[in-house]
Amino acid sequence: MVVATLKRLTAGPRPVAIVLLLLFASLYLMSAATQNTAQFSRVYSLLLAINVAALLMLVTLIIRNLVSLLGQYRRRMPGSRLTMRLVIMFVVLAVAPVSVVYYFSVQFLQRGIDSWFDVRVERALEDALELGRTALDSRLRESKQLTRQFAIELIGVPESLAAIRLNELRQHGRALEMTLLTSHGRIIASSSADPADIVPSTPNLSVLLQLRQGLDYAAIEPVADGLQVRVVVPVSEGVTSDPKLLLVIFPIDERLSTLGESVQDAFAQYKELAYLRQPLKFSFTLTLSLVLLLSLLTAVWAAFFSARRLVEPIRDLAEGTRAVAAGDYDMRLPLPGRDEIGFLVRSFNEMTRKIALSRDQASRSQRQVEAQRAYLETVLARLSSGVLTVAADGSIRTSNTAAAQILGLAPSAFEGATLQTLAACHAGLTPLTDKVADFMAENEGEWHVEVTLFGPGGRQILICRGSSLPDIGEMQGGQVIVFDDVTALIQAQRDAAWGEVARRLAHEIKNPLTPIQLSAERLRHKYLKRMSPEDAEVLDRSTHTIVQQVESMKEMVKAFSEYAHTPVVRLAPMDLNMLVKEVAELYRADRRMQLNLDLATRMHYVEADAVRMRQLLHNLLKNALDVAPPDGTVQVRVTTKCGDTGCRHVELRVEDDGPGIPEEMLGHLFEPYVTSKPKGTGLGLAIVKKIVEEHGGMLAAHNRPEGGAAISVRLPMGTQDGARGMRQPTEQRA
Amino acid sequence: MAFITRASPRSSRARLRVWGLCLFALLGLVSGVAHAARFEVHSASTSLVNQVYVLNAGISYEFSERALNALANGVPLTLRMDITIEHERNWWPDSTVAELEQRYQLQYHALSGLHVLRNVNSGASEVYPTLRGALYALGDVRDLPVIDEKLLDGDARYIISIRVQLDIESLPSPLRPFAYITPAWWLSSDWYTWSLRP
Repeated sequence: MVVATLKRLTAGPRPVAIVLLLLFASLYLMSAATQNTAQFSRVYSLLLAINVAALLMLVTLIIRNLVSLLGQYRRRMPGSRLTMRLVIMFVVLAVAPVSVVYYFSVQFLQRGIDSWFDVRVERALEDALELGRTALDSRLRESKQLTRQFAIELIGVPESLAAIRLNELRQHGRALEMTLLTSHGRIIASSSADPADIVPSTPNLSVLLQLRQGLDYAAIEPVADGLQVRVVVPVSEGVTSDPKLLLVIFPIDERLSTLGESVQDAFAQYKELAYLRQPLKFSFTLTLSLVLLLSLLTAVWAAFFSARRLVEPIRDLAEGTRAVAAGDYDMRLPLPGRDEIGFLVRSFNEMTRKIALSRDQASRSQRQVEAQRAYLETVLARLSSGVLTVAADGSIRTSNTAAAQILGLAPSAFEGATLQTLAACHAGLTPLTDKVADFMAENEGEWHVEVTLFGPGGRQILICRGSSLPDIGEMQGGQVIVFDDVTALIQAQRDAAWGEVARRLAHEIKNPLTPIQLSAERLRHKYLKRMSPEDAEVLDRSTHTIVQQVESMKEMVKAFSEYAHTPVVRLAPMDLNMLVKEVAELYRADRRMQLNLDLATRMHYVEADAVRMRQLLHNLLKNALDVAPPDGTVQVRVTTKCGDTGCRHVELRVEDDGPGIPEEMLGHLFEPYVTSKPKGTGLGLAIVKKIVEEHGGMLAAHNRPEGGAAISVRLPMGTQDGARGMRQPTEQRA
Repeated sequence: MAFITRASPRSSRARLRVWGLCLFALLGLVSGVAHAARFEVHSASTSLVNQVYVLNAGISYEFSERALNALANGVPLTLRMDITIEHERNWWPDSTVAELEQRYQLQYHALSGLHVLRNVNSGASEVYPTLRGALYALGDVRDLPVIDEKLLDGDARYIISIRVQLDIESLPSPLRPFAYITPAWWLSSDWYTWSLRP
């Protein structure tokens, strides 16, 4: 508290101004002392020391300021250059006029002091002194003569009567004091005009020495109240006796004494002044120099102070600007005053305040946007539909978890990806990326398409809906794509439809077949024996045909029933090559078929139902066998291989060298009841297709360029750990 | 009973003064102004007269040309005689018992051609026809009362010091800055010390 108060009191210009005022007062006193003013003369040296010390302090202060400023200048601190410039300007402005004034003041001072002294005045004073001496000399001679007479008259006077005689002589000679002494200065007798003067004056040692040399002593002596004549002469009473001394003090006429003292004072003063001419010049010049230095140093200090005061708000502004540039908008600068700089600082503070408000507002908005984004991401993550946003340049900007799941990708696969890179890395997605790219190229507003993919998860049917994004920001020209995996749904619908058809067909046909067959057999049994051989042959042949065709139709109905039946698929890891070999062995004996196997050397286990797969192989091989010429053989080649790199699916291919598939049937070869053969139900390949779909596989048929047909079955690889599972066909893709 | 010791080491304070004077002399040498003028206390002693210790001393004053010139031109010169009496103690710093300052003013009276010597302390003045006579009288200190016997401890030992110097502060103020920086004005004697055992 005390320290803070002291700091407050000693800070700022006020204490310095007070110190400077005191210094100026001290200088004034010193100047007065120089002129011999008695009351200040005693403290002259002290004042001089104080002023010199103060000047040294000021010099120290200024050097410290200068060093500090130079340091700031070298460090290129904001405001240092302006401060330096202002200081130099102030100093130059202060030094120039003060130096001129100082020069002329010193000149005036020197000449002024010199003008005090004049040879004529000095001569006149010396003459006056000489005149005074001359005037006093006559009095001195008279006194000396009178004293000698008194000395003669005292010869022979006994010491006991000496006092009386001295008194008589003193009164006679109008002397102030008369004393008779021994040659060593001991008083024998004395007489004084002043009764209060009880101690008679005695000659000092110097006078005694002069008298011992036989010389009289007579002198005009200054005393407190003027001048007086002192004469000391020996009183000789013979060679043998000890000589005595007579000291007489005579008064000097008051008028003469006053004039003499006046002349003495004036002469002494002038003489002293003349002697002190150089010291006076030095002293005045010193005082003037101190005043000048004090003024100059004060001006320099004031220059530092003013420059600092002026530059301080500018420096604050520079630092504030830096802080704002660095992102600190909370900085408030101290107001320097109500001037233009103060207005500038106020404007700066207002600006930073508004920027801070805007920043806070922007921050709030950003938080809101982030919250909305998080909300949107949460919503998107919970969607079962895949959502992608694609920018105009094909880069994928947004994706949800469902999109990655549906497409069988890791969620990070979309980061920084484009449609092109996605297609390059995942060839199975090419139909989707191509479709999207096509729609984007056509700049379709809204579109809807069904895309079939074949990836590691097998065949997938996606329903894609696209829409152009609003023309705002960087997503201008982009598209949002929402897609659903409807594979399972479509298959279920198709299966259900075909199942219903097969069931109805079987039901409607199967019911009349047995009565037809029974009726035909009854006709044959009843009328065959009764008829003529020619009629009996006709009847036999007809009934036989009816029964045979009914049997055939029953077989067909049975096949439909089997198709309509949806058995439980029991998935288990199985060796496809082994299965192919087992089934192929059954057909080795058939001479109509020449079977060649080309099985992959390293085949992984396939997750499949072995019974259904066996049926699939039988159907395919039977289908190939059906194209064999009546007396010839058909070359059948069964191939297994890994479908692509990494062996994410396996491919089973059955080729024959038959007539191939008619072009018009290629589009719906795998639909039920489609066949080019005279015999057969037309359900063989439909069942194959059904089995393949039950396993999530894909089926394709095409004619070989060298002749014959080729049917490819792609089956997805099962999970590596060979997890067993049971699933209904309709639930495979759910 | 008084024991006289010439320039004996007196106390730490005295040593400091000696060092100060050495520095002073060094400054004088540095300034390049050599001057033969000096004051010297040749002898000093105290004796008991009527239960008062009085000082008798012999001092020589030799002024510099500059000082003599100033005197001849009417500038009064003030001489200061400093006398200190200290109680010498074995295990403690010496304590000052008394300090005396005797001032004399010497001035030339142009009208009479005499030199006036005034005792500033008493106001008494004497005139001398010659400067030499005045300086002789100034240097011949006789029976100057210093201290009452009662103020001194009979069992103690005392150190008495005397020094004379020209009082620059009594010079006219314009002359003082010059005097402070001119060795010709630095007129002072060494401390002369002796012991006193009452």
